[in-house]
Amino acid sequence: MSEQSVPAFSSEFFGYFAAETVLLVGLVLLIVVPNLGKGTFRVPGTQARVPWFFGGERYAFTGRPDVPGYISVFVLLTAFMLLLNDLLNGWDGAATSALVHAHGDTSVRILAATPFSRLMETLFIGALLLVAVASLDRYRSTQPGAVRSVRELYNNRRQADLHILLLTCALGMSTVALAENLFVLFVGLELASFSSYVLVAFNKESKAGSEGGMKYFIVGSASSGVGLYGLSLLYLWAGTLQVDALALAWSNIGQEVLPYVALGLMLVGFGFKVSAAPFHFAAPDAYAGAASPFAGLLATASKAMGMVGLFRILLVVTLPDGTEGSAVWLMLLGILAAVTMTWGNIAALGSTNPKRMLAYSSVAHAGYMLAALTAVGVWNLGEEALSPAAQEASEAVLTALLFHLVVLVAFKMGAFLVLGVLENEGEIRDDRALAGLGRRSPLLAVTMFIFMLSLAGVPPLSGFLSKLLVIMGIVKVAAVDVGTSGASIGFLGMDLHWVWGLALLMVLNSAISVFYYLRIGVVMFFDAPAAGRDHPVPRAVFATVAITACLVGTLLFGIWGDPLIEVCRSAAAALLG
Amino acid sequence: MDLVSIVLVGLPMVVSLLLLSLVGLVPAALRPRLAVPMRLVTFVVGVVLFLVTTGMFFGTLGEVDWLGIGFNTYVFEEQYTWIESLGVTWHVGLDALSFPMVWLTAFLLPVTQIATWNEKRGEVYHPLILLMGATLIGVFVSLDLFMFYIFWELTLIPMFFLILKWGGAERRYAAQKFFIYTFTASVVMLLGLVTLYFLQQPTQAGAYAGSFTGRSFDLVNLSEVAMAANTDGVFLGKTMQAVLFVMLMLGFLVKLPAAPFHTWLPDAHVQAPTGGSMLLAGVMLKMGAYGMFRIPVTLFPHALEQFQFALMLFGFVSLVYGAIVCLGQTNLKKMVAYSSVSHMGVILLGIASQQPIGYAAALFMMFAHGIISPMLFAVCGAFKHHYHSMEIGAMRGMAKHSPWIATSMMFGWMASLGLPLLAGFVAEFMLLVAYWATFGWWILGPGLALAITAAYYLWSMQRTIFEGGEATQPPAGMEGKPIPDLDTSEKVAMLILAAATVLFGIFPFIALDMMDAWTQAAFVVLFGGA
Repeated sequence: MSEQSVPAFSSEFFGYFAAETVLLVGLVLLIVVPNLGKGTFRVPGTQARVPWFFGGERYAFTGRPDVPGYISVFVLLTAFMLLLNDLLNGWDGAATSALVHAHGDTSVRILAATPFSRLMETLFIGALLLVAVASLDRYRSTQPGAVRSVRELYNNRRQADLHILLLTCALGMSTVALAENLFVLFVGLELASFSSYVLVAFNKESKAGSEGGMKYFIVGSASSGVGLYGLSLLYLWAGTLQVDALALAWSNIGQEVLPYVALGLMLVGFGFKVSAAPFHFAAPDAYAGAASPFAGLLATASKAMGMVGLFRILLVVTLPDGTEGSAVWLMLLGILAAVTMTWGNIAALGSTNPKRMLAYSSVAHAGYMLAALTAVGVWNLGEEALSPAAQEASEAVLTALLFHLVVLVAFKMGAFLVLGVLENEGEIRDDRALAGLGRRSPLLAVTMFIFMLSLAGVPPLSGFLSKLLVIMGIVKVAAVDVGTSGASIGFLGMDLHWVWGLALLMVLNSAISVFYYLRIGVVMFFDAPAAGRDHPVPRAVFATVAITACLVGTLLFGIWGDPLIEVCRSAAAALLG
Repeated sequence: MDLVSIVLVGLPMVVSLLLLSLVGLVPAALRPRLAVPMRLVTFVVGVVLFLVTTGMFFGTLGEVDWLGIGFNTYVFEEQYTWIESLGVTWHVGLDALSFPMVWLTAFLLPVTQIATWNEKRGEVYHPLILLMGATLIGVFVSLDLFMFYIFWELTLIPMFFLILKWGGAERRYAAQKFFIYTFTASVVMLLGLVTLYFLQQPTQAGAYAGSFTGRSFDLVNLSEVAMAANTDGVFLGKTMQAVLFVMLMLGFLVKLPAAPFHTWLPDAHVQAPTGGSMLLAGVMLKMGAYGMFRIPVTLFPHALEQFQFALMLFGFVSLVYGAIVCLGQTNLKKMVAYSSVSHMGVILLGIASQQPIGYAAALFMMFAHGIISPMLFAVCGAFKHHYHSMEIGAMRGMAKHSPWIATSMMFGWMASLGLPLLAGFVAEFMLLVAYWATFGWWILGPGLALAITAAYYLWSMQRTIFEGGEATQPPAGMEGKPIPDLDTSEKVAMLILAAATVLFGIFPFIALDMMDAWTQAAFVVLFGGA
């Protein structure tokens, strides 16, 4: 890959990181605009008061409680469009990878705009855009004169906070996508995480909200600490946190224990982010306590962020060309994947709260993704590592994972947004909130059912295609590539590698998952509406727009997934180099 | 013109989806008013499908010689790239295996609508029936494994809603059980398909190979590769062939269903509304048998020989177990449902016999049962509709009070138990011949089972149609109203179904000839002649 280095804060730098620049400008706007007012400044020692337009009585426009929301939606939309434009206009990553010098003439990669990072940024910003749009309804602002309840007052006062947090979250996530240095990656991760801790606890009026937020914060910061400790051990060992330098160091690894310990500790940190068992315990409480759009954020963008970390560490650092130490995590990750998907599905069976159910289903999906990651590790176990077929196989699996992460934003977020609309009528504690939705609002119910079917993997929805791609990736590795790479294979008397068993477990788990996804459909279309929820669903224009976007994504990428597959494929190729 | 893609699959699919979204957009108060126009539009589409397929049969459309198509060659074939990177194509076509099923679906669609003309919430019901038909036809015309699987799973969704919204008291349980049970089997099948996909050599993937994976889901190409490999060896090796055979067969055996995988069927049938039951028994069960012929039998003849005895056992157990359970049923619809299990056992026996005549018997059984069983369920539906009960013996002396129901019931029951000159007899007779040729004196087994079939049908007729007479008390659910007979629409549906049963009983060769031609061609390729 021919790379182009750009010094920090040069004009080219802002060209490559235009979306992040827009976010930063938006962040400043969000802080400044609501504070614009008739404030004056008394010149010291005199009686003269000079207007400085900050503070004091706000102007009619800047005082409006809905302004922060519109700013944030506009900013996110602009950033999203910029990224999408890059992605669609044949972003040629090979020629225009941007680097930033940290110091002097030694080229140190800090941030790199590659097709991979572009795709992930688009995903993050897109998810946050959906959340921001839906939040306009979820935490609806009311014109000052019309405020009649404490809740409305609350909502008005927290508009700016909410949207500032969304933008910082976006900024942190983009940094994670761009980072080529594990330290920078960690900083981005923490920026996004802290925003999300606050967002989870945003529902402070409700007990569940504070409880979920607290749990999520404690477990999250503990696992971050563990991950950070692993990072420091890694630094101790290699003397650098550059991803490419680490990969080089890893390929010359000897009989040392330190890097493996470091790797294990970091897996804990990222395992929490992707909510893999056994680090998932806080997730159901957090999802149930958070407002639905934020829960959707945790289940999609936040999880994708954790996956990016895992990709960087497992695929880029520890999988260099055929060394002894590569893919040491294989067995461990395989077990983790099997436990995660099974645990998630079985726990989801018993959850009557749809938000908890979706949390556990998100755990199960993490298991599927880890299974695919395991499959990537397999090809490097053979004697002749990195044969062209093996390279192809890991690309196939990574493409499947990226596709899955992208379409997850469509249907998982969509499901949470539908719940968000229902949340406007009152907290969701069990599935009676959904009862009779088929009668109250048939279109919303059908949309929700489509999201559920997509989560279950029913064709021709995008959830099916993504699950199929993941299974295909695993099967391809297990059935074909390993055979050609000379590794010993054999599973239950078949000429297949044992990761094929993970694919089998995955389809069986999909079958289990149909139980609880279908139950949502039955509750919506069969049960009578619960008391207090028997009138038509209140109008929520913005949320409807966001849900429609999710629905279009769910259907479109399922029926016509080819372009997205191509984009994911070039992203995967860029990451693996 | 792409007759199959546009008219047979696209038209009903698009029309039904448009109508359903229209219903969703209309305010709730206005929805009932849509019932009549919705029914009319969907009915017209159904009739168009029937006319088009009939035209195809007579050669008016396309001028096809249905007897000379051969094996793994198709007419009305259309292929377009769909998902290029994975080698997925939109590939449809018809041959003598799929065409009778497509015609059957197109025939049953309007008949089902006639039989349930006044179903409640018709504005949703009739489009759903049409959607059901579209997905079913999609399964039968697909020649691409990906597309096949998509339609295969799509059939679940309209049926799920038909059971859930229009079903009986236990519909909630039945709808979920139906969906989950068959979905579970299909995902195992999916893993088998994906494994099969990757075990192809990229060099053999044909023109539509995926740009990414180097392989294709094209079934026609895959069949050719498999046939070539099977002639002087074993395609994919003996173990792999057996494993894939088992994985695929699991999906099909559950759908068929064969005992012991049949437990979803009685629940689904008893709770499903009449229209749902008619399509479920008439066409949906045949998807299992069709899939067996289309994929495992075609690709894995060696594994088929290896598992011949197991298949025979499955078929035999289904046949006998279904029949014995029927004897003990007090619920009319449950009895008919178990009789379906029993008859599907006949199809399995036909496949297991490994005789050309056995295959032809299985194919004709699929067709004949597809005409007879909707009639049985229509009778059950009328029974329930008019007497508000499903219990055998709830209403007695029907011959006296409700001659139309009694006659239809008697006709359907007789056809199902294999009365000569009716369609079912032909298939059963052929099967017995094939069974004798392969398994010799073991023929006493199925022979006995067919005797049990006669017993339970005759016994149930005795208890409903003839006993009682004047002294009969109508069931309590009717609240003393006068005992009714069939509605006009129900009469029309019964007459059409009865006419078809007689037609294919007296002139079985109309359909049998093309099935026989397919079988002969298949045997030459798969087993080197018979």
